[in-house]
Amino acid sequence: MADIPFLNRAPGEILARRGARPVTAGEYLADVAALAARLPGAPYALNLCEDRYLALVAFGAALARGVVTLLSADRSPHRQRELLARYPGTIALADGVETVIPAVTAGAWGRGGGENFDLPEERVAAIGFTSGSTGEPAAHAKPWGALVAAARSAAARFGLDDPEDGATVIGTVPAQHMYGFETTVMLPLRAPVAVHSGPHFYPVEVAEALAAAPGRRVLVTTPLQLRALVAGGVSGASAVISATAPLSPALAAEAEARLGAPVLEIYGATEMGSIASRRTIKGEGWTLYDGVALRAEGGEEAAALVPGLPGPVPLSDLVEIGADGRFRLIGRRGDMVKRGGKRASLAGLNRVLTEIEGVQDGVFIAPEDLEANPAARLAALVVAPGRTPAEIVAALRERVEAVFLPRPVVLVERLPRNAVGKITRRSLEALRDTLADGRDG
Amino acid sequence: MSSTTAMTALEAELAALIVGALQLEVTPEEIDPEAPLFGEGLGLDSIDALEMALAISRKYGFQLRSDDERNGRIFASLRSLAAHVEKNRVG
Repeated sequence: MADIPFLNRAPGEILARRGARPVTAGEYLADVAALAARLPGAPYALNLCEDRYLALVAFGAALARGVVTLLSADRSPHRQRELLARYPGTIALADGVETVIPAVTAGAWGRGGGENFDLPEERVAAIGFTSGSTGEPAAHAKPWGALVAAARSAAARFGLDDPEDGATVIGTVPAQHMYGFETTVMLPLRAPVAVHSGPHFYPVEVAEALAAAPGRRVLVTTPLQLRALVAGGVSGASAVISATAPLSPALAAEAEARLGAPVLEIYGATEMGSIASRRTIKGEGWTLYDGVALRAEGGEEAAALVPGLPGPVPLSDLVEIGADGRFRLIGRRGDMVKRGGKRASLAGLNRVLTEIEGVQDGVFIAPEDLEANPAARLAALVVAPGRTPAEIVAALRERVEAVFLPRPVVLVERLPRNAVGKITRRSLEALRDTLADGRDG
Repeated sequence: MSSTTAMTALEAELAALIVGALQLEVTPEEIDPEAPLFGEGLGLDSIDALEMALAISRKYGFQLRSDDERNGRIFASLRSLAAHVEKNRVG
Protein backbone atom coordinates (compact mmCIF):
# COMPACT_ATOMS: atom_id res chain seq x y z
CA MET A 1 0.00 0.00 0.00
CA ALA A 2 1.34 3.38 -1.01
CA ASP A 3 1.23 6.71 0.72
CA ILE A 4 -0.27 9.70 -1.09
CA PRO A 5 0.50 13.29 -0.05
CA PHE A 6 -2.42 15.18 1.47
CA LEU A 7 -1.88 18.24 -0.71
CA ASN A 8 -0.80 18.22 -4.34
CA ARG A 9 -0.28 21.98 -4.73
CA ALA A 10 2.78 24.23 -4.79
CA PRO A 11 2.89 26.55 -1.72
CA GLY A 12 2.36 29.73 -3.77
CA GLU A 13 -0.64 28.49 -5.79
CA ILE A 14 -4.05 29.91 -5.00
CA LEU A 15 -6.19 27.22 -3.40
CA ALA A 16 -9.22 29.24 -2.32
CA ARG A 17 -10.85 32.66 -2.52
CA ARG A 18 -12.50 34.11 0.54
CA GLY A 19 -14.47 36.95 -1.00
CA ALA A 20 -11.86 38.94 -2.90
CA ARG A 21 -8.95 37.56 -0.85
CA PRO A 22 -6.92 34.73 -2.37
CA VAL A 23 -5.60 32.02 -0.05
CA THR A 24 -2.44 30.19 -1.11
CA ALA A 25 -1.77 26.49 -0.57
CA GLY A 26 0.92 27.49 1.95
CA GLU A 27 -1.51 29.63 3.94
CA TYR A 28 -4.01 26.76 3.84
CA LEU A 29 -1.47 24.33 5.31
CA ALA A 30 -0.81 26.82 8.12
CA ASP A 31 -4.56 27.06 8.82
CA VAL A 32 -4.84 23.25 8.80
CA ALA A 33 -1.95 22.93 11.27
CA ALA A 34 -3.38 25.61 13.57
CA LEU A 35 -6.80 23.93 13.75
CA ALA A 36 -5.27 20.45 14.05
CA ALA A 37 -3.36 21.65 17.11
CA ARG A 38 -6.65 22.65 18.76
CA LEU A 39 -8.43 19.36 18.14
CA PRO A 40 -8.93 17.05 21.08
CA GLY A 41 -8.25 13.37 20.43
CA ALA A 42 -11.38 11.96 18.77
CA PRO A 43 -12.15 9.09 16.40
CA TYR A 44 -14.59 11.07 14.25
CA ALA A 45 -15.20 14.70 13.33
CA LEU A 46 -18.57 15.83 12.03
CA ASN A 47 -17.81 18.62 9.54
CA LEU A 48 -20.63 21.16 9.89
CA CYS A 49 -18.86 24.19 8.38
CA GLU A 50 -21.01 26.29 6.07
CA ASP A 51 -18.09 28.43 4.89
CA ARG A 52 -16.51 26.28 2.19
CA TYR A 53 -12.97 27.33 3.03
CA LEU A 54 -13.46 26.45 6.69
CA ALA A 55 -14.95 23.10 5.64
CA LEU A 56 -11.71 22.56 3.70
CA VAL A 57 -9.58 23.55 6.72
CA ALA A 58 -11.62 21.30 9.03
CA PHE A 59 -11.25 18.32 6.69
CA GLY A 60 -7.48 18.87 6.47
CA ALA A 61 -7.11 19.26 10.23
CA ALA A 62 -9.04 16.04 10.83
CA LEU A 63 -6.84 14.17 8.34
CA ALA A 64 -3.68 15.59 9.92
CA ARG A 65 -4.78 14.15 13.27
CA GLY A 66 -5.92 10.78 11.88
CA VAL A 67 -9.58 11.66 12.52
CA VAL A 68 -12.28 10.35 10.15
CA THR A 69 -14.57 13.08 8.78
CA LEU A 70 -18.32 12.46 8.86
CA LEU A 71 -20.09 14.19 5.97
CA SER A 72 -23.69 15.22 6.53
CA ALA A 73 -25.35 18.08 4.69
CA ASP A 74 -28.13 17.79 7.28
CA ARG A 75 -26.90 19.95 10.19
CA SER A 76 -30.01 19.58 12.34
CA PRO A 77 -29.67 18.87 16.09
CA HIS A 78 -31.51 15.60 15.52
CA ARG A 79 -28.93 14.46 12.97
CA GLN A 80 -26.00 15.54 15.17
CA ARG A 81 -27.30 13.44 18.08
CA GLU A 82 -28.00 10.49 15.78
CA LEU A 83 -24.42 10.53 14.44
CA LEU A 84 -22.92 10.88 17.92
CA ALA A 85 -24.93 7.86 19.08
CA ARG A 86 -23.72 5.85 16.12
CA TYR A 87 -20.11 7.09 16.26
CA PRO A 88 -19.26 7.52 19.96
CA GLY A 89 -16.62 10.14 20.65
CA THR A 90 -17.53 12.25 17.62
CA ILE A 91 -16.77 15.95 17.86
CA ALA A 92 -18.34 18.58 15.63
CA LEU A 93 -16.21 21.09 13.71
CA ALA A 94 -18.49 24.06 13.22
CA ASP A 95 -18.38 27.69 12.12
CA GLY A 96 -21.53 29.16 13.59
CA VAL A 97 -24.28 26.59 13.18
CA GLU A 98 -25.95 25.51 16.42
CA THR A 99 -24.24 22.42 17.87
CA VAL A 100 -25.73 20.00 20.39
CA ILE A 101 -22.74 17.62 20.61
CA PRO A 102 -19.15 18.37 21.77
CA ALA A 103 -17.79 20.88 19.27
CA VAL A 104 -14.68 22.80 18.26
CA THR A 105 -15.02 26.09 16.43
CA ALA A 106 -13.34 25.98 13.04
CA GLY A 107 -11.35 29.01 11.98
CA ALA A 108 -8.46 30.14 9.82
CA TRP A 109 -5.91 30.74 12.57
CA GLY A 110 -2.71 29.93 10.72
CA ARG A 111 0.30 32.17 11.41
CA GLY A 112 2.87 30.57 9.13
CA GLY A 113 4.22 27.05 9.40
CA GLY A 114 2.23 23.97 8.51
CA GLU A 115 3.70 21.03 6.66
CA ASN A 116 2.26 18.77 4.00
CA PHE A 117 1.89 15.14 5.13
CA ASP A 118 1.41 11.67 3.66
CA LEU A 119 -1.63 9.44 4.07
CA PRO A 120 -1.91 5.71 3.39
CA GLU A 121 -4.18 5.23 0.36
CA GLU A 122 -6.39 2.72 2.21
CA ARG A 123 -7.00 5.05 5.18
CA VAL A 124 -10.69 5.95 5.52
CA ALA A 125 -10.69 9.73 5.17
CA ALA A 126 -14.43 10.39 5.19
CA ILE A 127 -17.78 8.67 5.59
CA GLY A 128 -20.76 9.75 3.49
CA PHE A 129 -24.37 8.81 4.13
CA THR A 130 -27.38 7.83 2.07
CA SER A 131 -30.90 6.96 3.11
CA GLY A 132 -30.90 3.18 3.16
CA SER A 133 -33.80 1.11 1.89
CA THR A 134 -35.15 0.85 5.42
CA GLY A 135 -35.07 4.61 5.95
CA GLU A 136 -32.06 4.45 8.30
CA PRO A 137 -28.96 6.23 6.93
CA ALA A 138 -26.43 3.86 5.35
CA ALA A 139 -22.72 4.70 5.79
CA HIS A 140 -20.22 4.68 2.93
CA ALA A 141 -16.52 4.80 3.86
CA LYS A 142 -14.22 6.68 1.50
CA PRO A 143 -10.58 5.55 1.43
CA TRP A 144 -8.13 8.37 0.75
CA GLY A 145 -6.93 6.64 -2.44
CA ALA A 146 -10.47 6.54 -3.87
CA LEU A 147 -11.05 10.24 -3.18
CA VAL A 148 -7.72 11.15 -4.79
CA ALA A 149 -8.37 8.98 -7.87
CA ALA A 150 -11.83 10.54 -8.36
CA ALA A 151 -10.45 14.08 -8.06
CA ARG A 152 -7.71 13.30 -10.57
CA SER A 153 -10.24 11.84 -13.04
CA ALA A 154 -12.58 14.81 -12.67
CA ALA A 155 -9.74 17.30 -13.20
CA ALA A 156 -8.71 15.51 -16.39
CA ARG A 157 -12.27 15.14 -17.66
CA PHE A 158 -13.17 18.80 -17.14
CA GLY A 159 -9.84 20.25 -18.28
CA LEU A 160 -8.97 21.54 -14.81
CA ASP A 161 -5.47 20.09 -14.67
CA ASP A 162 -3.62 22.94 -16.37
CA PRO A 163 -1.70 25.08 -13.83
CA GLU A 164 -1.60 27.97 -16.34
CA ASP A 165 -5.38 28.13 -16.28
CA GLY A 166 -5.98 29.16 -12.67
CA ALA A 167 -9.67 28.28 -12.74
CA THR A 168 -11.99 29.29 -9.90
CA VAL A 169 -14.69 26.86 -8.76
CA ILE A 170 -17.93 28.40 -7.52
CA GLY A 171 -20.21 25.84 -5.90
CA THR A 172 -23.85 26.04 -4.88
CA VAL A 173 -23.77 22.53 -3.38
CA PRO A 174 -22.91 21.95 0.31
CA ALA A 175 -19.31 20.83 0.87
CA GLN A 176 -20.74 17.93 2.91
CA HIS A 177 -22.82 16.46 0.09
CA MET A 178 -20.65 13.85 -1.71
CA TYR A 179 -20.87 15.67 -5.04
CA GLY A 180 -20.04 19.01 -3.40
CA PHE A 181 -17.27 17.37 -1.38
CA GLU A 182 -15.61 15.90 -4.47
CA THR A 183 -15.84 19.07 -6.56
CA THR A 184 -15.20 21.80 -3.98
CA VAL A 185 -13.07 20.11 -1.29
CA MET A 186 -11.11 17.29 -2.94
CA LEU A 187 -10.58 19.08 -6.27
CA PRO A 188 -8.65 22.10 -4.90
CA LEU A 189 -6.46 19.72 -2.86
CA ARG A 190 -5.44 17.78 -5.97
CA ALA A 191 -5.83 20.06 -9.01
CA PRO A 192 -4.74 23.64 -9.83
CA VAL A 193 -8.06 25.32 -9.06
CA ALA A 194 -9.18 27.82 -6.43
CA VAL A 195 -12.48 27.24 -4.67
CA HIS A 196 -14.67 30.17 -3.67
CA SER A 197 -15.72 30.10 -0.01
CA GLY A 198 -19.29 31.33 -0.61
CA PRO A 199 -22.06 31.58 0.37
CA HIS A 200 -23.58 30.85 -3.04
CA PHE A 201 -27.19 29.89 -2.59
CA TYR A 202 -29.25 32.70 -4.08
CA PRO A 203 -28.75 33.80 -7.71
CA VAL A 204 -27.33 37.22 -6.81
CA GLU A 205 -24.55 35.63 -4.74
CA VAL A 206 -23.52 33.39 -7.62
CA ALA A 207 -23.67 36.33 -10.05
CA GLU A 208 -21.34 38.39 -7.86
CA ALA A 209 -18.85 35.54 -7.42
CA LEU A 210 -18.79 34.93 -11.17
CA ALA A 211 -18.22 38.62 -11.86
CA ALA A 212 -15.42 38.93 -9.31
CA ALA A 213 -13.38 35.81 -10.09
CA PRO A 214 -10.43 36.24 -12.46
CA GLY A 215 -9.72 33.66 -15.18
CA ARG A 216 -11.90 30.65 -15.90
CA ARG A 217 -14.98 30.30 -13.75
CA VAL A 218 -16.48 26.87 -13.23
CA LEU A 219 -19.95 26.83 -11.72
CA VAL A 220 -20.76 23.63 -9.80
CA THR A 221 -24.49 23.33 -9.28
CA THR A 222 -27.68 21.24 -9.52
CA PRO A 223 -30.61 21.25 -11.96
CA LEU A 224 -32.84 23.05 -9.44
CA GLN A 225 -30.25 25.74 -8.76
CA LEU A 226 -29.38 26.06 -12.43
CA ARG A 227 -33.02 26.69 -13.28
CA ALA A 228 -33.12 29.48 -10.68
CA LEU A 229 -29.83 30.93 -11.96
CA VAL A 230 -31.08 31.01 -15.55
CA ALA A 231 -34.36 32.58 -14.46
CA GLY A 232 -32.39 35.10 -12.40
CA GLY A 233 -30.37 36.19 -15.45
CA VAL A 234 -27.01 35.04 -14.07
CA SER A 235 -24.18 34.95 -16.63
CA GLY A 236 -20.40 34.90 -16.90
CA ALA A 237 -19.47 31.26 -16.28
CA SER A 238 -16.82 29.56 -18.41
CA ALA A 239 -18.29 26.11 -17.75
CA VAL A 240 -21.19 24.73 -15.76
CA ILE A 241 -21.16 21.35 -14.03
CA SER A 242 -24.45 19.93 -12.79
CA ALA A 243 -25.27 16.78 -10.82
CA THR A 244 -27.67 15.14 -8.34
CA ALA A 245 -30.46 14.64 -10.92
CA PRO A 246 -30.57 14.39 -14.70
CA LEU A 247 -30.77 17.80 -16.36
CA SER A 248 -33.50 18.23 -18.93
CA PRO A 249 -32.09 18.84 -22.44
CA ALA A 250 -34.29 21.95 -22.73
CA LEU A 251 -32.87 23.50 -19.54
CA ALA A 252 -29.34 22.54 -20.58
CA ALA A 253 -29.79 24.24 -23.97
CA GLU A 254 -31.27 27.35 -22.40
CA ALA A 255 -28.49 27.50 -19.81
CA GLU A 256 -25.83 27.15 -22.51
CA ALA A 257 -27.42 29.99 -24.48
CA ARG A 258 -27.90 32.32 -21.50
CA LEU A 259 -24.60 31.64 -19.78
CA GLY A 260 -22.60 31.28 -22.98
CA ALA A 261 -20.84 28.24 -21.54
CA PRO A 262 -20.93 24.47 -21.99
CA VAL A 263 -23.20 22.70 -19.52
CA LEU A 264 -21.72 19.40 -18.36
CA GLU A 265 -23.22 16.79 -16.09
CA ILE A 266 -21.69 14.36 -13.63
CA TYR A 267 -23.21 10.98 -12.88
CA GLY A 268 -22.47 9.49 -9.50
CA ALA A 269 -23.79 8.55 -6.09
CA THR A 270 -22.59 8.88 -2.53
CA GLU A 271 -21.62 5.21 -2.31
CA MET A 272 -19.41 5.22 -5.42
CA GLY A 273 -18.59 8.90 -6.00
CA SER A 274 -18.62 10.46 -9.47
CA ILE A 275 -18.08 7.92 -12.22
CA ALA A 276 -19.15 9.49 -15.55
CA SER A 277 -20.00 12.71 -17.33
CA ARG A 278 -21.74 14.06 -20.41
CA ARG A 279 -22.50 17.32 -22.18
CA THR A 280 -26.28 17.25 -22.01
CA ILE A 281 -27.01 18.87 -25.38
CA LYS A 282 -24.78 16.34 -27.13
CA GLY A 283 -26.96 13.37 -26.21
CA GLU A 284 -28.02 11.24 -23.28
CA GLY A 285 -25.05 8.84 -23.23
CA TRP A 286 -22.66 9.00 -20.27
CA THR A 287 -18.89 8.54 -20.68
CA LEU A 288 -17.16 6.78 -17.79
CA TYR A 289 -14.24 8.44 -16.01
CA ASP A 290 -10.83 6.96 -16.75
CA GLY A 291 -10.24 3.86 -14.64
CA VAL A 292 -13.93 3.25 -13.89
CA ALA A 293 -15.69 0.21 -15.37
CA LEU A 294 -19.33 -0.86 -15.41
CA ARG A 295 -20.23 -4.49 -14.92
CA ALA A 296 -23.63 -5.70 -16.11
CA GLU A 297 -25.37 -7.72 -13.41
CA GLY A 298 -28.18 -9.21 -15.43
CA GLY A 299 -31.17 -7.39 -16.90
CA GLU A 300 -30.71 -3.67 -16.63
CA GLU A 301 -28.82 -3.74 -13.35
CA ALA A 302 -25.14 -2.87 -13.18
CA ALA A 303 -22.34 -2.28 -10.71
CA ALA A 304 -19.42 0.13 -10.93
CA LEU A 305 -15.79 -0.86 -10.39
CA VAL A 306 -14.18 2.27 -8.98
CA PRO A 307 -10.45 2.83 -8.36
CA GLY A 308 -9.71 2.76 -4.65
CA LEU A 309 -13.00 1.16 -3.57
CA PRO A 310 -12.76 -2.42 -2.32
CA GLY A 311 -15.67 -3.97 -4.25
CA PRO A 312 -18.17 -3.34 -7.05
CA VAL A 313 -20.86 -0.78 -6.17
CA PRO A 314 -24.43 -1.45 -7.42
CA LEU A 315 -25.98 1.47 -9.31
CA SER A 316 -29.32 2.71 -8.02
CA ASP A 317 -30.34 3.40 -11.63
CA LEU A 318 -31.17 0.86 -14.29
CA VAL A 319 -28.87 1.29 -17.27
CA GLU A 320 -28.38 0.25 -20.84
CA ILE A 321 -24.72 -0.17 -21.71
CA GLY A 322 -23.88 0.62 -25.34
CA ALA A 323 -21.33 -1.09 -27.55
CA ASP A 324 -19.08 1.98 -27.22
CA GLY A 325 -18.99 1.62 -23.42
CA ARG A 326 -21.22 4.64 -22.87
CA PHE A 327 -24.42 4.08 -20.92
CA ARG A 328 -27.96 5.44 -20.73
CA LEU A 329 -30.17 5.72 -17.66
CA ILE A 330 -33.50 4.03 -18.17
CA GLY A 331 -35.13 4.08 -14.75
CA ARG A 332 -34.55 3.77 -11.06
CA ARG A 333 -33.87 0.48 -9.37
CA GLY A 334 -36.31 -0.61 -6.69
CA ASP A 335 -38.52 2.02 -5.15
CA MET A 336 -36.02 4.79 -4.58
CA VAL A 337 -37.09 8.38 -5.16
CA LYS A 338 -34.80 11.37 -5.40
CA ARG A 339 -35.37 15.02 -4.59
CA GLY A 340 -33.01 17.89 -3.83
CA GLY A 341 -29.97 15.60 -4.14
CA LYS A 342 -31.33 13.20 -1.53
CA ARG A 343 -32.63 9.69 -1.95
CA ALA A 344 -35.25 7.82 -0.01
CA SER A 345 -37.04 4.53 -0.34
CA LEU A 346 -40.82 4.77 -0.70
CA ALA A 347 -41.16 1.58 1.35
CA GLY A 348 -39.04 3.17 4.09
CA LEU A 349 -41.13 6.35 4.02
CA ASN A 350 -44.35 4.32 4.11
CA ARG A 351 -43.08 2.46 7.15
CA VAL A 352 -42.34 5.71 8.98
CA LEU A 353 -45.78 7.01 8.02
CA THR A 354 -47.68 3.99 9.27
CA GLU A 355 -45.74 3.95 12.55
CA ILE A 356 -47.20 7.32 13.50
CA GLU A 357 -49.67 7.07 16.36
CA GLY A 358 -53.23 7.19 15.09
CA VAL A 359 -52.28 6.32 11.49
CA GLN A 360 -54.01 3.08 10.47
CA ASP A 361 -52.75 2.97 6.91
CA GLY A 362 -50.89 5.25 4.56
CA VAL A 363 -48.90 5.44 1.37
CA PHE A 364 -46.52 7.95 -0.19
CA ILE A 365 -47.12 8.79 -3.84
CA ALA A 366 -44.35 10.08 -6.13
CA PRO A 367 -45.33 12.18 -9.15
CA GLU A 368 -43.67 11.23 -12.41
CA ASP A 369 -41.86 14.58 -12.70
CA LEU A 370 -40.43 14.51 -9.15
CA GLU A 371 -36.82 15.00 -10.23
CA ALA A 372 -37.32 17.42 -13.09
CA ASN A 373 -39.88 19.79 -11.62
CA PRO A 374 -38.94 21.82 -8.53
CA ALA A 375 -42.61 22.33 -7.71
CA ALA A 376 -43.24 18.58 -7.67
CA ARG A 377 -43.29 16.86 -4.28
CA LEU A 378 -44.31 13.60 -2.74
CA ALA A 379 -47.90 13.33 -1.61
CA ALA A 380 -49.39 10.98 0.95
CA LEU A 381 -52.75 9.29 1.31
CA VAL A 382 -53.46 8.51 4.93
CA VAL A 383 -56.14 6.69 6.89
CA ALA A 384 -56.10 8.34 10.32
CA PRO A 385 -59.49 9.02 11.86
CA GLY A 386 -59.33 11.95 14.25
CA ARG A 387 -55.95 13.22 13.12
CA THR A 388 -55.29 16.24 10.89
CA PRO A 389 -52.86 16.51 7.97
CA ALA A 390 -50.90 19.11 9.94
CA GLU A 391 -50.43 16.66 12.85
CA ILE A 392 -49.25 13.96 10.50
CA VAL A 393 -46.73 16.26 8.84
CA ALA A 394 -45.50 17.38 12.25
CA ALA A 395 -44.93 13.74 13.27
CA LEU A 396 -43.16 12.96 9.99
CA ARG A 397 -40.91 15.98 10.34
CA GLU A 398 -39.07 14.33 13.23
CA ARG A 399 -38.01 11.37 11.13
CA VAL A 400 -38.14 12.40 7.47
CA GLU A 401 -35.96 14.95 5.67
CA ALA A 402 -37.81 18.14 4.74
CA VAL A 403 -37.53 17.55 0.98
CA PHE A 404 -39.54 14.34 1.36
CA LEU A 405 -42.33 15.75 3.52
CA PRO A 406 -45.59 15.10 1.65
CA ARG A 407 -47.55 17.98 0.20
CA PRO A 408 -50.49 17.40 0.21
CA VAL A 409 -51.46 14.91 2.88
CA VAL A 410 -54.91 13.68 1.89
CA LEU A 411 -57.02 11.92 4.50
CA VAL A 412 -59.03 9.05 3.06
CA GLU A 413 -61.34 6.42 4.53
CA ARG A 414 -59.33 3.54 3.16
CA LEU A 415 -56.65 2.72 0.61
CA PRO A 416 -57.37 0.58 -2.46
CA ARG A 417 -55.71 -2.59 -1.22
CA ASN A 418 -56.39 -5.82 -3.05
CA ALA A 419 -57.24 -9.25 -1.62
CA VAL A 420 -53.66 -9.86 -0.45
CA GLY A 421 -53.38 -6.40 1.06
CA LYS A 422 -51.23 -4.86 -1.65
CA ILE A 423 -51.83 -1.63 -3.48
CA THR A 424 -51.35 -2.52 -7.13
CA ARG A 425 -49.22 -0.44 -9.42
CA ARG A 426 -52.34 0.35 -11.42
CA SER A 427 -54.29 1.74 -8.48
CA LEU A 428 -51.22 3.71 -7.36
CA GLU A 429 -51.01 5.26 -10.82
CA ALA A 430 -54.72 6.10 -10.70
CA LEU A 431 -54.24 7.78 -7.31
CA ARG A 432 -51.25 9.67 -8.64
CA ASP A 433 -53.21 10.93 -11.62
CA THR A 434 -56.07 12.07 -9.38
CA LEU A 435 -53.62 14.01 -7.20
CA ALA A 436 -51.90 15.49 -10.26
CA ASP A 437 -55.23 16.73 -11.64
CA GLY A 438 -55.92 18.42 -8.34
CA ARG A 439 -52.50 20.07 -8.43
CA ASP A 440 -52.79 21.43 -11.95
CA GLY A 441 -56.40 22.53 -11.65
CA MET B 1 -55.71 30.13 13.66
CA SER B 2 -53.52 30.78 16.66
CA SER B 3 -52.35 34.26 15.76
CA THR B 4 -53.89 37.08 17.64
CA THR B 5 -53.04 39.75 15.09
CA ALA B 6 -54.54 40.24 11.64
CA MET B 7 -52.40 40.34 8.51
CA THR B 8 -51.35 43.63 6.98
CA ALA B 9 -52.02 44.20 3.28
CA LEU B 10 -48.41 43.35 2.39
CA GLU B 11 -48.45 40.21 4.52
CA ALA B 12 -51.63 39.04 2.78
CA GLU B 13 -50.06 39.77 -0.60
CA LEU B 14 -46.91 37.83 0.34
CA ALA B 15 -48.95 34.94 1.74
CA ALA B 16 -50.77 34.67 -1.59
CA LEU B 17 -47.45 34.85 -3.46
CA ILE B 18 -45.93 32.05 -1.34
CA VAL B 19 -48.97 29.79 -1.55
CA GLY B 20 -49.08 30.29 -5.34
CA ALA B 21 -45.34 29.88 -5.99
CA LEU B 22 -44.99 26.81 -3.78
CA GLN B 23 -48.41 25.31 -4.47
CA LEU B 24 -49.04 24.95 -0.76
CA GLU B 25 -52.05 23.10 0.54
CA VAL B 26 -53.17 25.98 2.73
CA THR B 27 -55.02 29.14 1.82
CA PRO B 28 -53.12 32.41 2.30
CA GLU B 29 -55.50 33.33 5.13
CA GLU B 30 -54.54 30.19 7.02
CA ILE B 31 -50.89 31.18 7.34
CA ASP B 32 -50.09 32.35 10.83
CA PRO B 33 -48.13 35.58 10.26
CA GLU B 34 -46.00 34.89 13.32
CA ALA B 35 -45.24 31.18 12.77
CA PRO B 36 -41.87 30.07 11.35
CA LEU B 37 -41.89 29.49 7.58
CA PHE B 38 -39.29 26.70 7.72
CA GLY B 39 -39.07 23.60 9.88
CA GLU B 40 -41.99 23.88 12.27
CA GLY B 41 -44.90 25.96 11.08
CA LEU B 42 -45.25 25.85 7.31
CA GLY B 43 -42.46 23.30 6.97
CA LEU B 44 -40.74 24.79 3.93
CA ASP B 45 -37.37 23.44 2.73
CA SER B 46 -34.35 24.84 0.91
CA ILE B 47 -35.84 24.18 -2.52
CA ASP B 48 -38.82 26.27 -1.44
CA ALA B 49 -36.43 29.03 -0.33
CA LEU B 50 -35.03 29.26 -3.84
CA GLU B 51 -38.51 29.36 -5.39
CA MET B 52 -39.55 32.05 -2.95
CA ALA B 53 -36.45 34.10 -3.73
CA LEU B 54 -37.32 34.00 -7.45
CA ALA B 55 -40.93 34.97 -6.88
CA ILE B 56 -39.93 37.81 -4.57
CA SER B 57 -37.29 39.17 -6.93
CA ARG B 58 -39.81 39.19 -9.79
CA LYS B 59 -42.51 40.94 -7.85
CA TYR B 60 -40.54 43.29 -5.62
CA GLY B 61 -37.40 43.89 -7.68
CA PHE B 62 -34.73 42.93 -5.14
CA GLN B 63 -32.68 39.82 -4.42
CA LEU B 64 -32.56 37.69 -1.30
CA ARG B 65 -29.16 36.78 0.13
CA SER B 66 -28.07 33.98 2.41
CA ASP B 67 -26.25 36.14 4.89
CA ASP B 68 -26.97 33.58 7.62
CA GLU B 69 -27.95 35.64 10.59
CA ARG B 70 -30.13 38.01 8.65
CA ASN B 71 -31.77 35.24 6.65
CA GLY B 72 -32.69 33.39 9.78
CA ARG B 73 -34.59 36.48 10.75
CA ILE B 74 -36.14 37.03 7.31
CA PHE B 75 -37.70 33.58 7.24
CA ALA B 76 -38.56 33.56 10.94
CA SER B 77 -42.17 34.34 9.96
CA LEU B 78 -44.37 35.85 7.29
CA ARG B 79 -44.26 39.03 9.38
CA SER B 80 -40.47 39.28 9.35
CA LEU B 81 -40.37 38.48 5.65
CA ALA B 82 -42.90 41.25 5.00
CA ALA B 83 -40.79 43.70 7.02
CA HIS B 84 -37.74 42.77 4.94
CA VAL B 85 -39.68 43.21 1.68
CA GLU B 86 -41.03 46.57 2.85
CA LYS B 87 -37.50 47.79 3.55
CA ASN B 88 -35.91 46.51 0.33
CA ARG B 89 -38.60 46.64 -2.34
CA VAL B 90 -37.82 48.65 -5.43
CA GLY B 91 -40.46 51.01 -6.75
